[in-house]
Amino acid sequence: MDPEKLLALIESICPTVRHRAHADRAALSIAADELLALMAVLRDDPALRFDFLVTHTAIDLPDEKCFELVYLLYASEHGHSLFVTTRVDRDNPVVPSVCGLWPIAEWQEREVYDLMGVLYDEHPDLRRMFLEDDWVGFPLRKDYQDEHMLELPK
Amino acid sequence: MGVALEKLPGIVERFPGGSVAVTQLDQAINLARSNSLWPLMFGTKCCAIEMLMATGAAHHDLARFGAEVARASVRQADLMVIAGAIVKKMAPRMRLLYEQMAEPRYVIATGSCAISGGPFMYNSYTIVRGADEIVPVDVYVPGCPPRPEAFFWGLMTLQKMIREGETIREPGIRRKPVMAALPEDVSMHDIRREICSALIEDNVVDVAKAADEKPWARKVREWIQKSSSR
Ligand code: SF4
Repeated sequence: MDPEKLLALIESICPTVRHRAHADRAALSIAADELLALMAVLRDDPALRFDFLVTHTAIDLPDEKCFELVYLLYASEHGHSLFVTTRVDRDNPVVPSVCGLWPIAEWQEREVYDLMGVLYDEHPDLRRMFLEDDWVGFPLRKDYQDEHMLELPK
Repeated sequence: MGVALEKLPGIVERFPGGSVAVTQLDQAINLARSNSLWPLMFGTKCCAIEMLMATGAAHHDLARFGAEVARASVRQADLMVIAGAIVKKMAPRMRLLYEQMAEPRYVIATGSCAISGGPFMYNSYTIVRGADEIVPVDVYVPGCPPRPEAFFWGLMTLQKMIREGETIREPGIRRKPVMAALPEDVSMHDIRREICSALIEDNVVDVAKAADEKPWARKVREWIQKSSSR
Protein backbone atom coordinates (compact mmCIF):
# COMPACT_ATOMS: atom_id res chain seq x y z
CA MET A 1 0.00 0.00 0.00
CA ASP A 2 1.42 3.40 -0.81
CA PRO A 3 2.03 5.83 2.07
CA GLU A 4 -0.92 8.16 1.38
CA LYS A 5 -3.41 5.33 1.23
CA LEU A 6 -1.88 3.75 4.30
CA LEU A 7 -2.14 6.95 6.31
CA ALA A 8 -5.69 7.60 5.13
CA LEU A 9 -6.72 4.12 6.18
CA ILE A 10 -5.13 4.45 9.61
CA GLU A 11 -6.75 7.83 10.05
CA SER A 12 -10.15 6.40 9.26
CA ILE A 13 -9.67 3.78 11.99
CA CYS A 14 -8.06 6.05 14.56
CA PRO A 15 -8.84 9.75 13.98
CA THR A 16 -6.51 11.14 16.68
CA VAL A 17 -3.28 10.37 14.82
CA ARG A 18 -1.30 13.22 13.32
CA HIS A 19 0.80 12.92 10.17
CA ARG A 20 4.43 13.85 10.23
CA ALA A 21 6.04 15.70 7.38
CA HIS A 22 9.61 15.12 6.13
CA ALA A 23 9.68 11.34 6.40
CA ASP A 24 10.75 8.97 3.66
CA ARG A 25 7.86 6.66 4.46
CA ALA A 26 4.48 6.83 6.14
CA ALA A 27 4.95 8.41 9.55
CA LEU A 28 2.53 9.47 12.21
CA SER A 29 2.48 10.55 15.81
CA ILE A 30 0.06 9.73 18.57
CA ALA A 31 -0.45 10.68 22.20
CA ALA A 32 1.26 8.29 24.62
CA ASP A 33 -1.92 7.18 26.35
CA GLU A 34 -3.43 6.06 23.03
CA LEU A 35 -0.30 4.30 21.86
CA LEU A 36 -1.17 0.80 22.95
CA ALA A 37 -4.67 0.88 21.44
CA LEU A 38 -3.30 2.14 18.12
CA MET A 39 -0.51 -0.44 18.06
CA ALA A 40 -3.00 -3.26 18.65
CA VAL A 41 -5.03 -2.07 15.65
CA LEU A 42 -1.93 -1.75 13.50
CA ARG A 43 -0.90 -5.27 14.28
CA ASP A 44 -4.27 -6.98 14.00
CA ASP A 45 -6.21 -5.15 11.29
CA PRO A 46 -6.22 -7.47 8.26
CA ALA A 47 -5.50 -4.61 5.84
CA LEU A 48 -2.52 -3.38 7.91
CA ARG A 49 -0.99 -6.44 9.64
CA PHE A 50 2.18 -4.82 10.98
CA ASP A 51 3.59 -8.06 12.31
CA PHE A 52 7.20 -6.96 12.73
CA LEU A 53 8.60 -4.29 15.04
CA VAL A 54 11.81 -3.58 13.16
CA THR A 55 13.26 -1.22 15.70
CA HIS A 56 12.40 0.97 18.58
CA THR A 57 14.47 3.90 19.71
CA ALA A 58 14.19 7.24 21.45
CA ILE A 59 15.34 10.80 20.83
CA ASP A 60 16.17 13.12 23.67
CA LEU A 61 14.74 16.59 23.10
CA PRO A 62 15.82 18.58 26.17
CA ASP A 63 14.60 21.92 24.72
CA GLU A 64 11.12 20.57 24.38
CA LYS A 65 11.41 18.71 27.70
CA CYS A 66 10.44 15.37 26.24
CA PHE A 67 11.62 12.12 24.77
CA GLU A 68 10.35 11.19 21.36
CA LEU A 69 9.87 7.44 21.06
CA VAL A 70 10.09 5.98 17.59
CA TYR A 71 8.68 2.63 16.49
CA LEU A 72 9.43 1.31 13.03
CA LEU A 73 6.88 -1.24 11.93
CA TYR A 74 6.88 -3.52 8.92
CA ALA A 75 4.18 -5.70 7.48
CA SER A 76 5.79 -8.76 5.95
CA GLU A 77 2.59 -9.82 4.21
CA HIS A 78 1.74 -6.48 2.55
CA GLY A 79 5.29 -5.13 2.34
CA HIS A 80 4.54 -1.72 3.78
CA SER A 81 6.23 -0.01 6.66
CA LEU A 82 5.38 2.79 9.06
CA PHE A 83 6.97 5.03 11.64
CA VAL A 84 4.95 5.61 14.78
CA THR A 85 6.21 8.26 17.16
CA THR A 86 5.00 9.45 20.49
CA ARG A 87 6.27 11.90 23.06
CA VAL A 88 6.70 11.53 26.80
CA ASP A 89 7.53 14.02 29.47
CA ARG A 90 11.24 14.14 30.20
CA ASP A 91 10.77 14.38 33.97
CA ASN A 92 8.34 11.50 34.19
CA PRO A 93 9.07 9.27 31.17
CA VAL A 94 6.52 6.49 31.59
CA VAL A 95 4.96 4.82 28.55
CA PRO A 96 3.04 1.60 28.08
CA SER A 97 5.18 -1.30 26.92
CA VAL A 98 4.40 -2.95 23.58
CA CYS A 99 5.94 -6.27 24.66
CA GLY A 100 2.49 -7.84 24.70
CA LEU A 101 2.15 -7.16 20.97
CA TRP A 102 5.68 -7.84 19.72
CA PRO A 103 7.84 -9.92 22.07
CA ILE A 104 11.01 -8.49 20.47
CA ALA A 105 10.12 -5.17 22.07
CA GLU A 106 11.32 -6.59 25.36
CA TRP A 107 14.99 -6.14 24.47
CA GLN A 108 14.47 -3.01 22.41
CA GLU A 109 12.71 -1.34 25.30
CA ARG A 110 15.38 -2.51 27.71
CA GLU A 111 17.98 -0.84 25.51
CA VAL A 112 16.07 2.44 25.50
CA TYR A 113 15.62 2.18 29.26
CA ASP A 114 19.33 1.47 29.68
CA LEU A 115 20.58 4.43 27.68
CA MET A 116 17.76 6.96 27.95
CA GLY A 117 15.93 6.01 31.12
CA VAL A 118 12.47 5.72 29.62
CA LEU A 119 10.29 3.61 31.91
CA TYR A 120 7.98 1.06 30.31
CA ASP A 121 4.79 0.25 32.13
CA GLU A 122 4.18 -3.50 32.46
CA HIS A 123 7.49 -4.47 30.90
CA PRO A 124 8.21 -7.99 32.20
CA ASP A 125 11.91 -7.46 32.91
CA LEU A 126 13.08 -3.85 32.82
CA ARG A 127 16.79 -4.22 33.60
CA ARG A 128 19.97 -2.69 32.22
CA MET A 129 21.02 -4.19 28.92
CA PHE A 130 24.48 -3.00 27.87
CA LEU A 131 25.74 -1.21 30.95
CA GLU A 132 26.60 -2.73 34.30
CA ASP A 133 23.71 -3.19 36.70
CA ASP A 134 25.18 -0.69 39.13
CA TRP A 135 25.60 2.09 36.56
CA VAL A 136 24.22 5.42 37.68
CA GLY A 137 22.44 7.61 35.15
CA PHE A 138 21.43 7.25 31.51
CA PRO A 139 24.33 8.13 29.23
CA LEU A 140 22.52 8.96 26.00
CA ARG A 141 20.59 11.76 27.64
CA LYS A 142 22.00 15.01 26.35
CA ASP A 143 22.72 16.33 29.85
CA TYR A 144 24.54 13.19 31.07
CA GLN A 145 27.76 13.77 33.00
CA ASP A 146 30.05 11.60 35.05
CA GLU A 147 33.41 12.14 36.69
CA HIS A 148 35.26 9.93 34.20
CA MET A 149 34.19 11.92 31.16
CA LEU A 150 36.56 14.44 29.65
CA GLU A 151 35.17 17.56 28.02
CA LEU A 152 36.59 18.39 24.61
CA PRO A 153 38.71 21.51 25.13
CA LYS A 154 37.37 24.50 23.20
CA MET B 1 73.26 15.60 37.47
CA GLY B 2 70.38 16.33 35.17
CA VAL B 3 72.61 16.08 32.14
CA ALA B 4 74.00 12.72 33.19
CA LEU B 5 70.52 11.36 33.75
CA GLU B 6 69.40 12.48 30.34
CA LYS B 7 72.23 10.52 28.79
CA LEU B 8 71.48 7.29 30.63
CA PRO B 9 70.93 4.49 28.17
CA GLY B 10 67.58 2.79 28.06
CA ILE B 11 68.90 -0.42 29.50
CA VAL B 12 70.96 -0.51 32.65
CA GLU B 13 73.90 -2.81 31.99
CA ARG B 14 74.34 -5.22 34.86
CA PHE B 15 77.51 -6.96 35.82
CA PRO B 16 77.08 -10.71 35.66
CA GLY B 17 77.88 -10.83 39.37
CA GLY B 18 80.39 -13.65 38.87
CA SER B 19 77.81 -16.10 37.57
CA VAL B 20 78.40 -16.54 33.87
CA ALA B 21 76.10 -19.57 33.78
CA VAL B 22 73.02 -17.55 34.77
CA THR B 23 73.68 -14.94 32.10
CA GLN B 24 74.05 -17.62 29.44
CA LEU B 25 70.92 -19.35 30.69
CA ASP B 26 69.08 -16.04 30.60
CA GLN B 27 70.05 -15.64 26.99
CA ALA B 28 68.83 -19.07 26.04
CA ILE B 29 65.58 -18.70 27.94
CA ASN B 30 64.91 -15.25 26.56
CA LEU B 31 65.60 -16.43 23.04
CA ALA B 32 63.12 -19.27 23.50
CA ARG B 33 60.51 -17.00 25.05
CA SER B 34 60.82 -14.35 22.39
CA ASN B 35 60.36 -16.85 19.59
CA SER B 36 57.40 -18.66 21.02
CA LEU B 37 54.97 -15.98 22.06
CA TRP B 38 51.50 -17.40 22.30
CA PRO B 39 48.95 -14.63 21.80
CA LEU B 40 45.57 -14.73 23.40
CA MET B 41 42.71 -14.97 20.92
CA PHE B 42 41.13 -11.77 22.06
CA GLY B 43 40.15 -8.50 20.47
CA THR B 44 38.13 -5.64 21.82
CA LYS B 45 37.32 -3.56 18.74
CA CYS B 46 38.03 -2.81 15.08
CA CYS B 47 41.82 -3.10 15.53
CA ALA B 48 41.31 -6.81 16.16
CA ILE B 49 40.33 -7.28 12.53
CA GLU B 50 43.73 -5.99 11.50
CA MET B 51 45.81 -7.30 14.40
CA LEU B 52 44.70 -10.86 14.79
CA MET B 53 42.70 -11.68 11.70
CA ALA B 54 44.67 -9.99 8.91
CA THR B 55 48.06 -10.70 10.48
CA GLY B 56 47.11 -14.26 11.30
CA ALA B 57 45.90 -15.01 7.79
CA ALA B 58 48.06 -16.31 4.98
CA HIS B 59 49.05 -13.07 3.28
CA HIS B 60 50.81 -11.43 6.22
CA ASP B 61 51.32 -14.60 8.20
CA LEU B 62 52.07 -14.13 11.86
CA ALA B 63 53.66 -17.59 11.89
CA ARG B 64 56.85 -16.12 10.44
CA PHE B 65 57.45 -14.47 13.80
CA GLY B 66 56.86 -17.52 15.92
CA ALA B 67 53.69 -16.04 17.37
CA GLU B 68 50.96 -17.79 15.46
CA VAL B 69 49.71 -20.17 18.14
CA ALA B 70 46.73 -18.06 19.18
CA ARG B 71 45.19 -19.64 22.24
CA ALA B 72 41.58 -19.45 23.20
CA SER B 73 42.46 -20.06 26.85
CA VAL B 74 44.34 -17.45 28.85
CA ARG B 75 46.07 -20.15 30.83
CA GLN B 76 48.01 -21.19 27.75
CA ALA B 77 48.77 -17.71 26.44
CA ASP B 78 51.56 -15.35 27.38
CA LEU B 79 50.96 -12.43 25.03
CA MET B 80 47.92 -10.24 25.26
CA VAL B 81 47.33 -8.07 22.21
CA ILE B 82 44.94 -5.36 23.26
CA ALA B 83 43.47 -4.62 19.87
CA GLY B 84 41.14 -1.69 20.25
CA ALA B 85 39.16 0.35 22.67
CA ILE B 86 38.16 -1.09 26.01
CA VAL B 87 34.80 -0.21 27.49
CA LYS B 88 34.26 0.16 31.20
CA LYS B 89 32.29 -3.06 31.32
CA MET B 90 35.15 -4.96 29.69
CA ALA B 91 37.93 -3.43 31.82
CA PRO B 92 37.61 -5.59 34.96
CA ARG B 93 37.15 -8.68 32.80
CA MET B 94 40.28 -7.86 30.85
CA ARG B 95 42.16 -7.42 34.09
CA LEU B 96 40.90 -10.83 35.17
CA LEU B 97 42.14 -12.37 31.92
CA TYR B 98 45.52 -10.75 32.42
CA GLU B 99 45.81 -12.14 35.92
CA GLN B 100 45.05 -15.65 34.70
CA MET B 101 47.71 -15.56 31.99
CA ALA B 102 50.86 -17.65 32.32
CA GLU B 103 53.92 -15.78 33.52
CA PRO B 104 56.02 -14.18 32.18
CA ARG B 105 53.25 -12.37 30.33
CA TYR B 106 53.56 -9.57 27.83
CA VAL B 107 51.11 -6.98 26.61
CA ILE B 108 51.04 -5.15 23.28
CA ALA B 109 48.51 -2.32 22.98
CA THR B 110 47.66 -1.56 19.36
CA GLY B 111 45.83 1.44 17.98
CA SER B 112 45.15 4.86 19.35
CA CYS B 113 42.18 3.59 21.34
CA ALA B 114 44.30 1.22 23.40
CA ILE B 115 46.96 3.90 23.82
CA SER B 116 44.83 6.84 24.93
CA GLY B 117 41.18 6.30 24.12
CA GLY B 118 41.84 7.63 20.62
CA PRO B 119 38.79 9.08 18.93
CA PHE B 120 36.80 8.30 22.07
CA MET B 121 39.00 10.28 24.41
CA TYR B 122 36.54 13.13 24.86
CA ASN B 123 32.88 13.07 25.80
CA SER B 124 32.70 9.31 25.95
CA TYR B 125 30.81 7.80 28.81
CA THR B 126 32.14 4.33 28.37
CA ILE B 127 35.61 4.02 26.82
CA VAL B 128 38.62 3.61 29.13
CA ARG B 129 41.35 6.06 28.16
CA GLY B 130 44.22 3.70 27.48
CA ALA B 131 44.99 0.07 28.24
CA ASP B 132 47.64 1.12 30.74
CA GLU B 133 44.90 2.11 33.15
CA ILE B 134 44.13 -1.59 33.41
CA VAL B 135 47.27 -3.65 32.80
CA PRO B 136 50.98 -2.86 32.41
CA VAL B 137 51.77 -2.54 28.70
CA ASP B 138 55.13 -3.44 27.14
CA VAL B 139 54.80 -2.14 23.59
CA TYR B 140 52.46 0.42 22.10
CA VAL B 141 51.77 0.30 18.37
CA PRO B 142 50.29 3.56 17.07
CA GLY B 143 47.78 3.75 14.23
CA CYS B 144 44.05 3.62 13.68
CA PRO B 145 44.25 0.75 13.02
CA PRO B 146 47.97 0.02 12.62
CA ARG B 147 48.75 -1.77 9.40
CA PRO B 148 49.81 -5.40 9.79
CA GLU B 149 53.42 -4.46 9.09
CA ALA B 150 53.24 -1.88 11.88
CA PHE B 151 51.98 -4.59 14.18
CA PHE B 152 54.85 -6.84 13.13
CA TRP B 153 57.19 -4.01 13.91
CA GLY B 154 55.71 -3.85 17.38
CA LEU B 155 55.96 -7.59 17.78
CA MET B 156 59.59 -7.56 16.69
CA THR B 157 60.24 -4.76 19.17
CA LEU B 158 58.74 -6.86 21.92
CA GLN B 159 60.87 -9.83 20.89
CA LYS B 160 63.95 -7.66 20.98
CA MET B 161 62.99 -6.39 24.40
CA ILE B 162 62.51 -9.91 25.70
CA ARG B 163 65.88 -10.96 24.33
CA GLU B 164 67.64 -8.05 25.96
CA GLY B 165 65.47 -7.80 28.99
CA GLU B 166 64.63 -10.12 31.78
CA THR B 167 66.83 -12.31 33.89
CA ILE B 168 65.66 -15.29 35.88
CA ARG B 169 67.30 -13.81 38.94
CA GLU B 170 64.85 -10.92 38.91
CA PRO B 171 61.71 -12.17 37.24
CA GLY B 172 59.26 -9.49 36.35
CA ILE B 173 61.83 -6.71 36.18
CA ARG B 174 62.08 -5.57 32.62
CA ARG B 175 62.44 -2.65 30.29
CA LYS B 176 60.00 0.20 30.48
CA PRO B 177 57.28 0.29 27.81
CA VAL B 178 58.11 1.65 24.40
CA MET B 179 56.19 3.15 21.53
CA ALA B 180 56.97 1.13 18.39
CA ALA B 181 56.04 3.18 15.34
CA LEU B 182 57.06 2.04 11.88
CA PRO B 183 60.32 3.82 11.03
CA GLU B 184 60.07 7.02 9.08
CA ASP B 185 61.78 5.84 5.93
CA VAL B 186 58.93 3.44 5.25
CA SER B 187 56.46 5.83 3.69
CA MET B 188 52.91 5.39 2.58
CA HIS B 189 54.29 5.70 -0.94
CA ASP B 190 56.44 2.61 -0.49
CA ILE B 191 53.53 0.69 0.84
CA ARG B 192 51.30 1.88 -1.95
CA ARG B 193 53.85 0.99 -4.61
CA GLU B 194 54.22 -2.43 -3.10
CA ILE B 195 50.47 -2.94 -2.99
CA CYS B 196 50.20 -1.64 -6.55
CA SER B 197 52.71 -4.12 -7.92
CA ALA B 198 51.09 -6.89 -5.90
CA LEU B 199 47.73 -5.96 -7.37
CA ILE B 200 49.14 -5.97 -10.89
CA GLU B 201 50.75 -9.30 -10.26
CA ASP B 202 47.51 -10.72 -8.93
CA ASN B 203 45.20 -9.34 -11.58
CA VAL B 204 47.03 -9.11 -14.88
CA VAL B 205 47.59 -12.03 -17.18
CA ASP B 206 49.68 -12.56 -20.31
CA VAL B 207 47.09 -14.45 -22.31
CA ALA B 208 49.40 -16.11 -24.83
CA LYS B 209 51.75 -17.30 -22.11
CA ALA B 210 48.91 -18.53 -19.96
CA ALA B 211 47.44 -20.43 -22.90
CA ASP B 212 50.79 -22.02 -23.62
CA GLU B 213 51.05 -23.27 -20.06
CA LYS B 214 47.87 -25.30 -20.19
CA PRO B 215 48.60 -29.04 -20.11
CA TRP B 216 46.58 -29.81 -23.23
CA ALA B 217 48.54 -27.21 -25.17
CA ARG B 218 51.60 -29.41 -24.81
CA LYS B 219 49.72 -32.30 -26.31
CA VAL B 220 48.86 -30.20 -29.36
CA ARG B 221 52.46 -29.02 -29.66
CA GLU B 222 53.62 -32.66 -29.67
CA TRP B 223 51.17 -33.49 -32.45
CA ILE B 224 52.34 -30.60 -34.53
CA GLN B 225 55.95 -31.55 -34.02
CA LYS B 226 55.25 -35.14 -34.95
CA SER B 227 53.35 -34.23 -38.11
CA SER B 228 55.95 -31.68 -39.26
CA SER B 229 58.86 -34.09 -38.65
CA ARG B 230 57.14 -36.75 -40.68
S1 SF4 C 1 42.44 2.65 17.08
FE1 SF4 C 1 41.03 2.93 15.36
S2 SF4 C 1 40.92 0.89 14.41
FE2 SF4 C 1 41.76 0.63 16.46
S3 SF4 C 1 40.03 0.17 17.78
FE3 SF4 C 1 40.36 2.39 17.86
S4 SF4 C 1 39.00 3.21 16.28
FE4 SF4 C 1 39.23 1.03 15.88
